[in-house]
Amino acid sequence: MDHIERFYIDEKLADIKKDGFLNYRSKELPTWCPGCGYFGITQAIAKACNALSLPNENICVVSGIGCAGRYPIFMKAYGFHTLHGRSVPIASGIKLANEDLTVFAVGGDGDMLGIGGGHLPHIARKNIDITLFLFDNMIYGLTKGQSSATTPLGQKTNSHTKGNPDSPLKPISLALAYDASFVARGFAGDLDGMQDIFMKAIRHKGFSFVHLITPCVTFDKVNTWDVMRNGYHPIHESHDVTDRIAAMRLAEDQRFFLGVFYQDEKRPSYQEYLRQIHSA
Amino acid sequence: MPKFDHYIIIGNGPAGNSAAEVLRMHDDQARVSIISDEGFPYYYRHMLCEFISGKKKEDALKVKPASDYKEKNIRMRLGQRVERIEPETKTLYLKHMEKVKFTRLILATGASPHVVPSLSRFEKHFSFMSKYSDALKVKPLLSPARKVAILGGDLVSLKFAKMLSAMKKEVTFFLYKDCFYPFELTADMASAIEKHFSGKKIKTFADIFPSRIESKGKAFEIETENGENLTVDIIFCFMGMRPNINFIQGSGIDTERGVLVDEHLKTNVSDIYACGDCAQIYNPELKNYWISVGWENAGIQGETAALNLLGESKVIKPSQKKILDVEGLKVNTSWWKEL
Amino acid sequence: MADIDIVIEICGSAGEGTISAGEILSRHMSSLGFEIMSFDSYPSEIRGFGKCVAHSRISNQQILSPGKYTDILVVLNDSHSIPQLHAVRENGVVIYDSQPPAYHEEDKSIAGWMAPGMIAYGIPLHSLANKAAGSARGRNMVALGAMAALFGIDEEGFKTSIMKRYATKKQVVIDSNVNSFEEGYVWAKKNVQKLDHLTFSKVKLRKVTQNRIIINGNQAVAQAALDSGIKLFAGYPITPATKIMEIMGKELPKRGGIMLQTEDELSAIGNVIGAGFAGKRAMTATSGPGFTLMTEMTGLAVMAEVPAVVVNSQRGGPSTGLPTKTEQSDLSLVLAGGSGDSPRIVLAPSTVEECYESTCLAFYLAEKYQTLAVLLLDFFLSNSIRNIDEPSLPDKKMLSANISPSKTDLKDYRRFQLTESGISPRALPGTPLGMFVATGLEHNERGKPAYDSKTHLEMTEKRYRKLDGILKEVSPPTWDGPKANVDIGVISWGSTAASAHEAVLKARKVGVNAAFMSSMLLVPLNVDHFVKFSAACKTILVPELNYSGQFAAHLAQYLNRPIEKLNRITGLPMPSEDIFEKIMEIADTQKR
Ligand SMILES: Cc1cc2nc3c(=O)[nH]c(=O)nc-3n(C[C@H](O)[C@H](O)[C@H](O)COP(=O)(O)OP(=O)(O)OC[C@H]3O[C@@H](n4cnc5c(N)ncnc54)[C@H](O)[C@@H]3O)c2cc1C
Ligand SMILES: Cc1ncc(C[n+]2csc(CCOP(=O)(O)OP(=O)(O)O)c2C)c(N)n1
Ligand code: SF4
Ligand SMILES: [Mg+2]
Repeated sequence: MDHIERFYIDEKLADIKKDGFLNYRSKELPTWCPGCGYFGITQAIAKACNALSLPNENICVVSGIGCAGRYPIFMKAYGFHTLHGRSVPIASGIKLANEDLTVFAVGGDGDMLGIGGGHLPHIARKNIDITLFLFDNMIYGLTKGQSSATTPLGQKTNSHTKGNPDSPLKPISLALAYDASFVARGFAGDLDGMQDIFMKAIRHKGFSFVHLITPCVTFDKVNTWDVMRNGYHPIHESHDVTDRIAAMRLAEDQRFFLGVFYQDEKRPSYQEYLRQIHSA
Repeated sequence: MPKFDHYIIIGNGPAGNSAAEVLRMHDDQARVSIISDEGFPYYYRHMLCEFISGKKKEDALKVKPASDYKEKNIRMRLGQRVERIEPETKTLYLKHMEKVKFTRLILATGASPHVVPSLSRFEKHFSFMSKYSDALKVKPLLSPARKVAILGGDLVSLKFAKMLSAMKKEVTFFLYKDCFYPFELTADMASAIEKHFSGKKIKTFADIFPSRIESKGKAFEIETENGENLTVDIIFCFMGMRPNINFIQGSGIDTERGVLVDEHLKTNVSDIYACGDCAQIYNPELKNYWISVGWENAGIQGETAALNLLGESKVIKPSQKKILDVEGLKVNTSWWKEL
Repeated sequence: MADIDIVIEICGSAGEGTISAGEILSRHMSSLGFEIMSFDSYPSEIRGFGKCVAHSRISNQQILSPGKYTDILVVLNDSHSIPQLHAVRENGVVIYDSQPPAYHEEDKSIAGWMAPGMIAYGIPLHSLANKAAGSARGRNMVALGAMAALFGIDEEGFKTSIMKRYATKKQVVIDSNVNSFEEGYVWAKKNVQKLDHLTFSKVKLRKVTQNRIIINGNQAVAQAALDSGIKLFAGYPITPATKIMEIMGKELPKRGGIMLQTEDELSAIGNVIGAGFAGKRAMTATSGPGFTLMTEMTGLAVMAEVPAVVVNSQRGGPSTGLPTKTEQSDLSLVLAGGSGDSPRIVLAPSTVEECYESTCLAFYLAEKYQTLAVLLLDFFLSNSIRNIDEPSLPDKKMLSANISPSKTDLKDYRRFQLTESGISPRALPGTPLGMFVATGLEHNERGKPAYDSKTHLEMTEKRYRKLDGILKEVSPPTWDGPKANVDIGVISWGSTAASAHEAVLKARKVGVNAAFMSSMLLVPLNVDHFVKFSAACKTILVPELNYSGQFAAHLAQYLNRPIEKLNRITGLPMPSEDIFEKIMEIADTQKR
């Protein structure tokens, strides 16, 4: 057993090294709870970057505060761990200052939809070319289990022991309503699906909104890995990603879908648009 | 009387000012406003001569400081002309397109220089000396002038001629006997004046008048009726004064030469009074109107008008005849006081 | 040859050309060699309907304050102008329209409100404008013409200034304006008898040598930012800072930069910090309510060591306060706002010239010392228009101030390396070996979060050490006056400092032994100089535009002595006249 297992890890490590995605991981070991969905997301982002051969030094990862906010520390790139809710404007500033950089804004559901929710419509309508990764675990993780903006109605949390009285936001519907030019959803348990979405999102010229369903294994005993695995379905191939109304219908469906909901490739990014009007 | 009365006085001379003071003294509630078309504050009119001769500075002309009006809360509207009075609505229409309401009104508009009809075609060549703005205009003209002609014969002209000769100007005086408003000079008086002037080296024409006046460059040429030609640098006209009542005509307030008032200085329209040089006052004993001019009289009349406006019933009496001595020249007057 | 120092106010309602008349007057007088300081105000927030006042002080000598009393009030709108009369001098001049198209009621006519002693000239503005150009539009120009005639301003030159102002307009517009001016000039020459003694014609002027530009504080800040190489301006509209944003919106794209109008002030400063992180110069401009929001992120700039330049042009507070009034009551907020011990740079210019200078400094210092620099202006300074000598552009050293890591540094890169100066070489995103994570959490030299007491102390000290270097970069406070045995020392800051300086100069002229000190750099404060100044003065007076005496209180901790205060919260700039009076009052009590 001992022998076989060692052999297996070596082989695996060799595979991983050959693949190269580890080059996008920093030497810091993630401080997340074992089993946390964020590990998978981290891996998928690294893989997507690797697949796109992005130079590390040209990546800037900006995060807010929360368990998700820790993410830049574990990635080999320029990182900025900012304030609760403020990753979006700072990421925007970086992109506007240096268009050559690939800029990610990363944060949890509290970060992006609660305290920082006011920035979302505006980054979307400005179509500034950054990719937003919303790590949605439907709970405040770092502060230990209070209700968040996506906690289901009635779910018991540490702040609402009798049940959450607030209806949850619907991130995909919001992003579509805000007119984000790229809207997709991934699941932390679906590495390949995430990588595919991430590559499209990063390549997309304009604001990309990526909603990630991920369990908080420590503080959420309702939305577990199992519940999630069974609750999500890939978007059917026949879906036309340029059809915003169809995307909205999908977003409002009783079932939960994974994949790219919407993409408008024709719309110029903020900086492209500025160039157009100022050169005219 | 209703609260927040607005007493308006038109005219910022001695009559208007003493009226305003009396009104304020006896009524600390009402608004009191003086309106006058002259921009310069209340000043000693008779000092204008000294002002242009340089003996008196601008500040010395002012009768009182602005602070006095502020303390007494008397509003000053200077440089504003009343164009029309509408007694029915108690409204004054000002030239700068403002309507002002009064509850009671005192007319103290004084008088303006008069030009006899025979001379009116030459009027554009004349300089006058009846108000501050005249003095401002005249002052720079006078200092370089050597030869001066005076057409006139009123009291101011006598005073003025004397001053000019003291300034070493060469003065020619045309004496118009009949324009010594409000009465005419007697032959005796005229010859007394002539005599007096010859002593002062003032050339006097008593019965010969200019027949032609023309401007020649900056100077003027005067041709007399007997064909004499003379060139002067400036011509002054002093033909007596006419009450400033033009704007009152048509308002329903009775006027003749001046504003007609009874012995209480009331006009025929209720709540409107007149005093000072602009008023023509009825004397019940004489059964006739009389005119009273002069600084001091104007002040007394202003006070009387104000008191009567406030409800009293003071009678104004024609002042005693007195002999006025204009530098050795004796003139009988009832109004003029040497100031 | 006489001196002249007069204040002219033109008051009208929006659309009457009040502000442009003021502007033309100021420009023309400046071109003649006069010093000017102008200040336009719109006492109502909605400019479209309200009252406008163009206030200009014109002198052949140095001007440091706007002047409290008006010598000449030009009335384009009677009822708006009535409240302006309270500032007119006892023997001041009022010019008004004597031919409006309809009768005014008494309480709405300026003519009924002038105090005894004032000199009024009625000019038929309306009818002359109609005569000149067939419309009443040119009333403002008629008024200027009358003013030129009344106060001895050369007619032809003035016309040229008018033509210049409308140079981009159609010929009819130019002609109407010039003709209206002419009409006013001729009419006044002929019909107005001058009763005042104000004249510009007999004044000795300094030679106009250098190119003088006319700008206000906001424009100076914007120009300095452009000259300093700003690449991103992010802002959210708020009076009185909005104009900076508007200028940026126009000028930045021409230079390859971006003006970003954000959803709120949080986003504005966030974008600035982002751009700073990416190595580009960026700035935001706001007022008290916006700065309050920004304090969320000012600490991040300090902690993550990212350059950020923030303008706070103060208005009356607290809360939404008095949006169109001037005050200096955000000092405490700017000095101390935000969580934790967060050393920052605070620059408070006192004049338009200093607005330019301090903005250049702010960009340089923020970049070099990798921290937050706050520029503290106020409504008055933002809008106060001066003619100034063309300022000197920031030099190369100032334009590129980032200290980059060397190759050796990059071998084992420690972004937050402890250094003597407190400055750690900063790698910009895109540099291959310089990757690091900046964070608002306390961190070690490599940027890794660390909460142990040793690291926190070392890092706090490092951040504070930067202040020592900054202090050496900026010239010491102004000390005008004797260096010892001073009876009254006046210390002030911001726009009030200029008024205070003027008051001290005036007091010295009348024999008061007074001295003046102010510092453009408020943080770090050159405490030594202030202590020395204080030791040289019998009494210290601190005038400022707030109720509680915020700067006085700030100084007290260093000076350790009683301080006389002079506080105003009238919403108006600090009158040098009031400071002068206070100085005289103190001088009096000292004698007793
Ligand atoms: C040169 C000179 C020297 C004199 N010397 C002497 C002297 O030595 N002794 C002496 O006793 N008297 C002298 N007088 C006369 C004396 O000054 C007058 O009698 C006196 O001023 C009259 O006072 P009043 O208040 O009636 O009117 P005024 O002083 O004439 O004041 C009337 C005011 O009302 C204004 N007014 C008129 N109509 C209007 C209107 N529609 N709207 C607005 N305002 C209006 C006039 O412009 C004027 O300012 C002299 C006069 C002159 C001109
Ligand atoms: C201004 C501010 N308020 C509150 C906090 C405390 N806080 C830190 S993280 C967090 C919630 C994090 O939840 P989420 O964004 O969903 O991230 P997760 O931990 O779930 O990944 C809160 C409330 C803070 N850091 N700053
Ligand atoms: S608390 Fe929840 S979200 Fe945070 S690391 Fe642990 S499992 Fe993940
Ligand atoms: Mg969460």
